[in-house]
Amino acid sequence: MGVAVRNGWWPARISGPAFFFALACVISWVMPGPAAAMDDHGAARAALTDLEAAIGEIVTVSNGYATDRHVYYRASQRAINALEGTHGREYVAADGNPGDASGAVGHTDALLDRAETPVWAVALQGAEANMQAAVAHLLDANHAHDLDSFSLAASRALTYLEVARGRPTEFGALGGLEGALANTVLGVPQGATMVDGCAEPTTAPAYGVDGGWIAWVTLSAGAGTWRLAENPGGSAVIMRPGMTVLPTAAASLVAKNCAGRHAAAPTADAPTEIATNAVKPGGSSPAAPALYTKQQAEAGSQIFAAQCVSCHGANLQGTAAPSVAGTDFISTAHKNGWSLANLRDIVVVNMPYKAPGTLSATAYADLLAFLLASNCYPAGTTPFPTNRDPAFTKIELGLVPGEHQGENKLGVCPVP
Amino acid sequence: MTFCQQLRAGAVWPAPATLGISAMIFFGTGAAWAQDTPSATDFTNAATDTANWILPAKSYTGNHYTDATQINPGNVGSLHVAWRFSPDDTGPIEVSPIVYDGTMYVTTAHDHLYALDAATGKVKWSFTDNPHVISFAANRGIGLVDGNVYLGTLDGHLIAFDAATGKKVWDKVTVDDTANSFYSMAPVPYFDPRTGNPVLFVGVSNGDWGGIGNIAAFDPKDGHVIWRWETVPGPGQPGHDSWSGDSWKRGGASAWTGVTIDTATQTMYLDLGNPGPDFNTSQRRGDNLYSNSMVALDISGPQPKLKWYYQFIPHDTHDWDPPMQPILFIGKVDNQDRKLVAAGDKGGNLWILDATNGKLVDHTVVSFQKGTDTEPTITGNFACPNTLGGVEFEGGSYDPATNSLLIPSQNECGFWTATKDVVYVAGQFYLGGAFPKLVGPQTGQMNSVDVSDGIFNWRHHFDLPDYGGALATASGLTFSGTLGGEEHAFDTRTGNILWSYDTGAFITAPTEAYEVNGKEYIVVGAGPAGNASIPELPSSSSSSGPAPRIVAFTLGQ
Repeated sequence: MGVAVRNGWWPARISGPAFFFALACVISWVMPGPAAAMDDHGAARAALTDLEAAIGEIVTVSNGYATDRHVYYRASQRAINALEGTHGREYVAADGNPGDASGAVGHTDALLDRAETPVWAVALQGAEANMQAAVAHLLDANHAHDLDSFSLAASRALTYLEVARGRPTEFGALGGLEGALANTVLGVPQGATMVDGCAEPTTAPAYGVDGGWIAWVTLSAGAGTWRLAENPGGSAVIMRPGMTVLPTAAASLVAKNCAGRHAAAPTADAPTEIATNAVKPGGSSPAAPALYTKQQAEAGSQIFAAQCVSCHGANLQGTAAPSVAGTDFISTAHKNGWSLANLRDIVVVNMPYKAPGTLSATAYADLLAFLLASNCYPAGTTPFPTNRDPAFTKIELGLVPGEHQGENKLGVCPVP
Repeated sequence: MTFCQQLRAGAVWPAPATLGISAMIFFGTGAAWAQDTPSATDFTNAATDTANWILPAKSYTGNHYTDATQINPGNVGSLHVAWRFSPDDTGPIEVSPIVYDGTMYVTTAHDHLYALDAATGKVKWSFTDNPHVISFAANRGIGLVDGNVYLGTLDGHLIAFDAATGKKVWDKVTVDDTANSFYSMAPVPYFDPRTGNPVLFVGVSNGDWGGIGNIAAFDPKDGHVIWRWETVPGPGQPGHDSWSGDSWKRGGASAWTGVTIDTATQTMYLDLGNPGPDFNTSQRRGDNLYSNSMVALDISGPQPKLKWYYQFIPHDTHDWDPPMQPILFIGKVDNQDRKLVAAGDKGGNLWILDATNGKLVDHTVVSFQKGTDTEPTITGNFACPNTLGGVEFEGGSYDPATNSLLIPSQNECGFWTATKDVVYVAGQFYLGGAFPKLVGPQTGQMNSVDVSDGIFNWRHHFDLPDYGGALATASGLTFSGTLGGEEHAFDTRTGNILWSYDTGAFITAPTEAYEVNGKEYIVVGAGPAGNASIPELPSSSSSSGPAPRIVAFTLGQ
């Protein structure tokens, strides 16, 4: 089942053309040219600032409301201006520029404009290709006849821009600008101390660097607020006497490179997702929670047959009302970001449709157990509660991974 | 230049459409040979054309009235089933069939579309869909123009089909937010006198789900928006201050009931839906314009302009909106011919306005009312009608012979409960409470209301609601179907029932009349009751209720 990752870094179309074409180009592309005037860190920062300005334009206009279509056109043009800069072929001065004169593409181009191929080139080439793709979609948005077409084009642009921005937990082509800033020398501010990334950290503050990769960042120990130039993207914090060590996502790569040459750098796990309290069965992990008992689901099945089946259908796909289980339901729940609390609320407050709120608390709990079971959530030993559990707001509904016994082609699991 | 070089040189990236990832799906630019569909003249003369039924309420006036006289009070007793068609779908039948040149187009709850031989009910072609249903599965019909059939769907698509073959011509998502917006109404074709070209009027269904209503004119060639009129005034517009704070942003007021047009003055009359959230209204203080209003729009220019509005229920707290298409007619008041426009609402009111200026001419209470001045509370309280009572979407008729409005109404009561907080959740109801619990018996009646004074000529009471709207004929008959499933023919003058037929299912669709080869037919759809279900309805062998059906009647030999 194709379920788009909500709020994810990687939109469904990460396999889209810009990314792979960019990868193909990376291999052969070394463009000669003079060294950049601005320091590398400053240029990369400026590129990110311009890129974020472009994203901000689209996000702001999408969050707002206007009946004048020119408000939308102006926003997409300003985003183009921030990306391309004043020398861009699509630049229109009249609409204003939330970025600087070079634009995100200009800064990225200038950084790549050198004889050697730094380790961050892959990430920046990917970012640039995705920004170019975003401009094409923004041009589409500028010619949209209606709000729907605009939204479609603008959200595609946003997709590419988010990939261009990337994330600090990745340091390859998928890392984008943030990945490069977090894991490569591009992220080291001018004047900062750089030390051997293969050695044990002994100074702070400092950047442990090897072969262009940052392995870790050290901060002085002691109470206070310590600001980082960039998000390091790692998932561990190591407290040492006199200093705090923050390994980057590239730490394990550096450790591998250093093996045999130096003592190992402080180890960190492979890049992981930032931990979240939300339980997302639609994601790769953790496993779907057991929220009800088998007995509850079976009792709920009887209640459904008596109270719900006439509108929601014996196959739970809906006759006069919406589906309540299976692929259609769970993908809608996932797309709209429904939590278990949302599901419980609509059942308890609004159902049954002609007699809302009239079932007993036990009956509602059983009914919800039946719905979870029908959506292939596993049964457990703790009953579904009769009261609203605050934790339900953190449980996002989604596809339960793995094979399910008896699941039918509509994605509904059987309840005896 | 290699592709990579082009990329480096800043060449324009291929546009999305060329990469095949556009949502617009073009299957062709139109058939070389197209089915004959109604012309501009046909639409202008739709009211007096006894053979065809080319707009949801027959003509732009919204008056379900036919000049056909073959079926009359003298022979209606011999009316019998001519054919019966069983669509392959579940859910209620709410369609206004479109009939043109011997072909009938009907739709079912999940946007299935059938082109039928109007004389036999045989399928010519069909389209089946499987849309995600946000709340209510229902489709009320199609638009027929320009060689194509146009269908709005529950997942927000506007789709064009070749009228002759059923082949898809184009398919476009035309709602802003598919999480809370969909289509249930029939697209309404209209030839714009300024250009001579047809446009399609479609309003979006999103009022009870946290959207703002709008009516849009689409180009039938490709579905692009020509203009759009929002039903809730935005910042800086007159009426905006009738909403407290930011409540207007999810203010509802859907334009999803039908489009009435005075073609002589190019004025569009719309009945707009209830404000949102429906029941907890603490966040939307004020009159909440233009919810629960009739609006008259001047559509003679490039953008519609509001001529007048009349708000039936300011600051509605019970989902008592006017769900029917307005009826535009010349009626007699004080022995003077007046251009009038009438609508009923779910609060159980029938309103007659002066169509030229929106001034109230008459107001008749047609359903039992209680609690009209109280708001739903957290502990709950009673009010009547409930959200399925009063006057429903199927509409009514004006009969010039008796100067009366024929319109059914329901007596249903409910117990409302508001929630403490209102939170918008994409894809779910935005109610601030629950739809009311049914209380007491649910009954209905067919009414004849004298336009000259707003007083009943007659009322016929039923044990069950009467959701079938009304079809009046020049021969003096009024047809309507009850929720119980009986199709009735009344004597328009007396209210006596002259003929009845049990369809075996529940009627929530209007009745229509048409002719094929000079033979007059009456047609009505029936099926499960859908959200009009009440405990009094007989149970069915199927858990999902009786199977949907379209039944056509004609006179016996």
